[in-house]
Amino acid sequence: MRPIISLALLVAAPALALAQANVPAPGAETSVPPPPVQAQPKPEAPSAPATRPEPVVPQETPEPAPEADTAAEAPAPASPEETPVVAEPQPTQPDAPATPEDAPVLAAESPRTTEAQQQRLVHGAPLYNPNVSVHIVQKKRFADEGHHEFAFFPATVQVNGKYTNHAGSALQYIYHLQENFAFQLMGQYNWYSNESDFNLELIDKVREQAQAASSLLLVWGAQAGVEVTPLYGKFAFLNDSLAQFSVVLSGGAGLGSTRHLIRPEVANEVDGETFTVPARFGDTGTKFLGSVGGGFRLQFGEHYALRMEVRDLIYTARVDKVDGCNLADFEALEAARAGNQDFATLQLSGSCKYEKFDGVDPKTKKNYREDIILGRDLVAEPSSDVLNNISFYAGFSILF
Amino acid sequence: MNARTLRVIASLAISLAAPVASAQDDDEKVLDNVVVRNRLFEPGGHLELSLGVGLPVQTHLTAHYFFNVGVAYNLFNTFALEARAGYAASRHTGLARSISESFLDRQDKKVTDELEDLWEMNLHGVAGVRWAPIYGKLSLLSDLPAHFQAYVWAGGGLGSFQRNSVIQCTQVVDRELGICDDRAVPEDRGSASSDYWVKETRVAPVVSAAVGFRFFVLNKHGVRLELRDWVFRDAYRVNLLRDDWEAGRETGEPAASPGFTHLVQFDLGYTFSF
Repeated sequence: MRPIISLALLVAAPALALAQANVPAPGAETSVPPPPVQAQPKPEAPSAPATRPEPVVPQETPEPAPEADTAAEAPAPASPEETPVVAEPQPTQPDAPATPEDAPVLAAESPRTTEAQQQRLVHGAPLYNPNVSVHIVQKKRFADEGHHEFAFFPATVQVNGKYTNHAGSALQYIYHLQENFAFQLMGQYNWYSNESDFNLELIDKVREQAQAASSLLLVWGAQAGVEVTPLYGKFAFLNDSLAQFSVVLSGGAGLGSTRHLIRPEVANEVDGETFTVPARFGDTGTKFLGSVGGGFRLQFGEHYALRMEVRDLIYTARVDKVDGCNLADFEALEAARAGNQDFATLQLSGSCKYEKFDGVDPKTKKNYREDIILGRDLVAEPSSDVLNNISFYAGFSILF
Repeated sequence: MNARTLRVIASLAISLAAPVASAQDDDEKVLDNVVVRNRLFEPGGHLELSLGVGLPVQTHLTAHYFFNVGVAYNLFNTFALEARAGYAASRHTGLARSISESFLDRQDKKVTDELEDLWEMNLHGVAGVRWAPIYGKLSLLSDLPAHFQAYVWAGGGLGSFQRNSVIQCTQVVDRELGICDDRAVPEDRGSASSDYWVKETRVAPVVSAAVGFRFFVLNKHGVRLELRDWVFRDAYRVNLLRDDWEAGRETGEPAASPGFTHLVQFDLGYTFSF
């Protein structure tokens, strides 16, 4: 496309010089050459808008030429067959070629652009000039290349939680190696991770529950990866304000810490007094973590942006140990519990943290030895799964 | 999941809308004028027809696949009235079937409650308003511009519903195999022509809300992408006695606070403007 445009500009140069002495060329919104159109008689007045108003070539006498920047952005035909919109304007002929379909509407009574204010450039474009439009999506106002970006996501909420619920916060560092390509480092911590109400409902009503691997909970994750911004655009909100945005796609890999619910919150009654015992979770180890995601980055000014993304955290899940204890450890602990034996004397695997299943909580009077059977149930049938934790990320970032 | 989905939708809408209204300088106001002037598509005053297919974002016990037609009138460029009607093909998920089969043999559970969110929506019709405060342009492949509107939608209507229990089987054929139908071959679920699970039907109000994008294609065509939530009141019975339901007798009483069921769909649609 670039050679074609260059060729078109060369062809258009004499025409532009001619246009400077005549009517300014209406700019198109895209650099794609417009399709050939049949010459039409110039309408007397703008017609009533249908899907969009028909473009009308100004009928006034020639005006001062637009700025050079604008001329460069105006479309030019790529070949003689595709002719006509700008390359060879016929300003005084009634059968002047039609403007491209996506060209701006130019009312016949458009104000003149002889005032200095109207000719002032805004971000390199003569936007005050109503007879001139600019490229559809202008050059990005703020370049990303070589910039650093810190993004903070105060809220990350899982949106696909069938058996699990997660909510947390995340911090991300991005280095924009190129305009559309960046490296990223990201860490997140889920300050809430628990089994879903749906899973608890199944346990309560039909005595079914998800396999341990399918209800594994992610506590924190850290990953490195890349981010690309293949698309960018702008939008107007209520016709009053403008925002520029990029579509971001990201991918990464790293590690995440997992846990599993051993026992939900229960009431413990001791000597006629009832204590609320909080839910108990068991450590299930660090797992490989990968992610893919996409979203929007809305930039406000040169240094600030809003980010809204959806990411799919993918992690492998195999539950064969809880708090470092495997099935053999749990069976040994259970046998020792039945015999009221000291756990320290048992031959357990080195990773087994048997202390977590021993003793009595002084606050709730809960005997932790009662949880041994629950831990054993989790590893009795080792399960594995690949979990997709799809979460919505909302946050802001600072670029420098 | 459902409440969070609503929060996500609300966050998305607020995040898109609120911050943009501020932090604008004079130059940007000038740019905005250009944006407005260069709009290629002004739907105000036009009628439009639409077709859409909705796929479930998440399935628990039921899955729905929506097929909708809609007609809308754009009062303004940013505001439209729209009516939609359609049919949702629904089914039980594999999880629901697994639960129903295994629970037949779980005789230690003599008293239980029906599961939530088992109503399946079929025929439905809603009318609502569509507010599209955002008009934007997107650069595709650097040379191809795409114009779009971002919108929120809210409305209500009626829907027909059916509910097939996964707990109450009125005629147990084979408890161990979890069979509660008239299948000819025990291993072939598809050979059954009817089943004996408790069924209910009703017509009930439904509320729907959505956020989405509409991309304009050529002059009169558009492609619509939206996230839509269908909300209706749940209803189920509690304190069910196994002996009663297996004898074909009605048992239990309606849940006092059944809550609401959310069907969150990803909707892909086509629009034609007149």
